[in-house]
Amino acid sequence: MSVPTRLVRRLRAARENNTEIRNQETLEGILFSLPYLLVFSVFLLYPLLKGLYMSLHDWNAIYPSQSEFVFLENYVRMINDPMFWNALWNTVYFVVLTVPPLVMLGLALALGVNRQLKGRRFLRMVFFSPYVLTVAVVALIWIELYAPSYGVFNYYIMQIGIEPPNWLNSATFGMPAVALATIWWTLGFNFVILLSARQGIPERLYEAARLDGAYGWRAFRDITLPQMKPALVFVTVVQFIASFQIFGQVFIMTGGGPGNATDTLVMYLYKAAFNQHEFGYAAAVGYFLFVVLIAVSMVNYKLAGDSA
Amino acid sequence: MSTQATDALRSRIEDTSIRTVGLYAALYGVAALFLVPYAWMISLSLKPRSEMFSRVPHWIPSEPTLQWYQYVLSESLILQWTLNTLLIAGITTLVVLLFDSLIAFSLTRLDWPGRKFVLSVIIASFMVPAYVNIVPLYTLVSDLGLISSYAGVILPLTAGPLGVFLLVQFFRDFPDELEEAARLDGFSTFRIYSRLMLPMMKSPLTALALFTFVSSWNQFLWPLIVLQSEGSYTLPIGLVTLSSSQVFQPGLMMAATLIASLPLFVVFLLLQDYLINAIQIQGTKG
Repeated sequence: MSVPTRLVRRLRAARENNTEIRNQETLEGILFSLPYLLVFSVFLLYPLLKGLYMSLHDWNAIYPSQSEFVFLENYVRMINDPMFWNALWNTVYFVVLTVPPLVMLGLALALGVNRQLKGRRFLRMVFFSPYVLTVAVVALIWIELYAPSYGVFNYYIMQIGIEPPNWLNSATFGMPAVALATIWWTLGFNFVILLSARQGIPERLYEAARLDGAYGWRAFRDITLPQMKPALVFVTVVQFIASFQIFGQVFIMTGGGPGNATDTLVMYLYKAAFNQHEFGYAAAVGYFLFVVLIAVSMVNYKLAGDSA
Repeated sequence: MSTQATDALRSRIEDTSIRTVGLYAALYGVAALFLVPYAWMISLSLKPRSEMFSRVPHWIPSEPTLQWYQYVLSESLILQWTLNTLLIAGITTLVVLLFDSLIAFSLTRLDWPGRKFVLSVIIASFMVPAYVNIVPLYTLVSDLGLISSYAGVILPLTAGPLGVFLLVQFFRDFPDELEEAARLDGFSTFRIYSRLMLPMMKSPLTALALFTFVSSWNQFLWPLIVLQSEGSYTLPIGLVTLSSSQVFQPGLMMAATLIASLPLFVVFLLLQDYLINAIQIQGTKG
């Protein structure tokens, strides 16, 4: 191995000292990067900057050049709008309803399926399968499950003698109902990542612990949890970011109602932009979302840094 | 061995088998619950109108009927929507594979000034959540005249940094010896990329392809905003408009959702391991 490596290094050095080759490599490097850099700058970087610009204007959707600079007015209006706070709290509520169960259930199922069991492949398939469905399919199936007169849930709830709510039309139960459908839909993602993290723990760690008499709960607390920490942090943050941006399920299942009981931030943004055509205002809401999610990512890096 | 020790061992074994039974019961119990929504979808889609709204749920219809399937296939544009979605997801996947592999190759194998800066900007852009850009992106796509065109749907989907990030991790580990040997043999840079690199990177490229395909197939908000005529809809949007426009019929809707979820389910059943692998790469490398 050492001879070819030395040769490689010499070849490298020879190429690096040759200006003509270096210039050609620079040209090729830029040409190879160009297609992606073009879509990246036009459809990701530019809108990001334009969004900030728009959020500082009373945006005229028909004649953008007549937009008026209003500085922070959109943001002030946002903070003073009770509907914004309503959407924010509903979003936070949805995050609280979905993130802990998704992480904990995902972990429990991953640890279970990690054992030597019959039908592991089948179980993995069942838990993961809803993840490939599109949000429209998930929402429409769950609408039928929650149906007040002929849905399955209400029938079995009535069997045990409780008067069931009209789930999706209820201010109290609307959000939990959407959360339950979401858990069914996305649990597979966390499950698969946590399963692979569990399988990455060397078995000799458990053997060594067993010699010391550490079984069950102690092995879980002293080996499994610390070894899986990076994966758990990753899953929690990704889940938080996804849940914070909930849109499709609410849009289809409840439309934000009844009243505004299940209105979320992205719903609020969507309505401001595409129902009321207040682009500057909607862009400000978008930037608020951006800042919250960046803050979460920062906390993530801090946590991940501590565990490394 | 003393009797005491044997007893302790025996009770540990009994303990373990009780636990195993409990584990089976719990896992298969959860699995059964997970299958309930599928079962209800299939059941409703096969039910005749007379049984549909019964208060007592009949899981197995007394006289299964295919009338809802016939109705959806003949009276809605569902096949057209499937083709549209296939087209959009397919093109997005090809473009992402091509663009991302080109730049990942350039960032890892070629030395040019500024590449470290470019890579760090791309990685930092991970923090931009999908919905933040929706409004400025809409005005941009509208200024470019791409509203209600597939290019307007596809181009923003190809700008995501995930693929670049993923491929950079793999391209970096490519052995230098092979690359130098190829150069000595007179390979051009493009041939090193296309003949040497790409064939060796089959598994990360497959993972990226599957992940991109599934996620662009399932896009909802962006196509909803861009596409404006019924004939150009993708499946997710078509389904939702179907549910709000037709006279409300659960059997009809469930037949439609079943038809709509079939293509990805087939992909999933055939390529399960690759798809799960794609998600796991994200979790461990991301």
